[in-house]
Amino acid sequence: MQRRDFFKKLGVVAAVAATAPTIGFAANAKPVSQNHITIDAAINAITGGKKPQTSSKVTLKVPEIAENGAVVPVTVSVDSPMISSDYVKAIHILTSKNSNARAIDVNLTPANGKAMFATRIKLGGTQDVTALVELSNGDFLTASQSVKVTIGGCG
Amino acid sequence: MKARKSLIKIKPKKFKDGEIVKVSFMVMHPMSTGMTKNKKTKQIIPAKYINSVKFNYNGKEITNMTVWETLSTNPVFTTYMKINGKGKLTVTYTDNTGEVNEKTKKIKPKG
Repeated sequence: MQRRDFFKKLGVVAAVAATAPTIGFAANAKPVSQNHITIDAAINAITGGKKPQTSSKVTLKVPEIAENGAVVPVTVSVDSPMISSDYVKAIHILTSKNSNARAIDVNLTPANGKAMFATRIKLGGTQDVTALVELSNGDFLTASQSVKVTIGGCG
Repeated sequence: MKARKSLIKIKPKKFKDGEIVKVSFMVMHPMSTGMTKNKKTKQIIPAKYINSVKFNYNGKEITNMTVWETLSTNPVFTTYMKINGKGKLTVTYTDNTGEVNEKTKKIKPKG
């Protein structure tokens, strides 16, 4: 009986030892950004309550599978004449699961000649990348695509 | 303070007046989020990221960007620009810690 008790206690100790670090890890696993904002709040803040429309005019180029989440190339181009009466006012790039959903806001002018913006972003895990485009007449267009990330880029 | 390495690239290299060219601005910057830890010292690396980037062409602002820490280390910003005579393209970028830098490139259209 003593031997059996000994193994029982050993099992309990092992179980505690196994779970304790995972609990600690879970508490530290998701640090929150200083400018934490969710994607819905970010879209609301940009559009002011207007509903953006999905449009084929916006082309979002992101790799479907990103091997390294620390460097994910993103290209947004919009079909627009870019003249003073009809141009793209702003391009916003948003992510759905990063602690800070907003990546960049680009304010364009007709002097750009072409509505296109390219950069590289960090993704913490598999999620959607959204491009939100504001036109000079006040309309909002969007396009989004999911990206599979094998190694996260945020810590 | 040590100056940051940065670069303005224009494609194609030879261009005419009135042409629309691709402009890339690259800068060496850590872009740390303030959420990661140093693996050796276990201390949080403080946030340091570019706040805003502005493209000025002959004193006229053509593009301005508000940036957050989501961008990658050593970020690249690529847009298009319409060439409108001889002049200077100045890119000014600001840090969340208050660091302000700028980079200038001369623009000489041919023909």
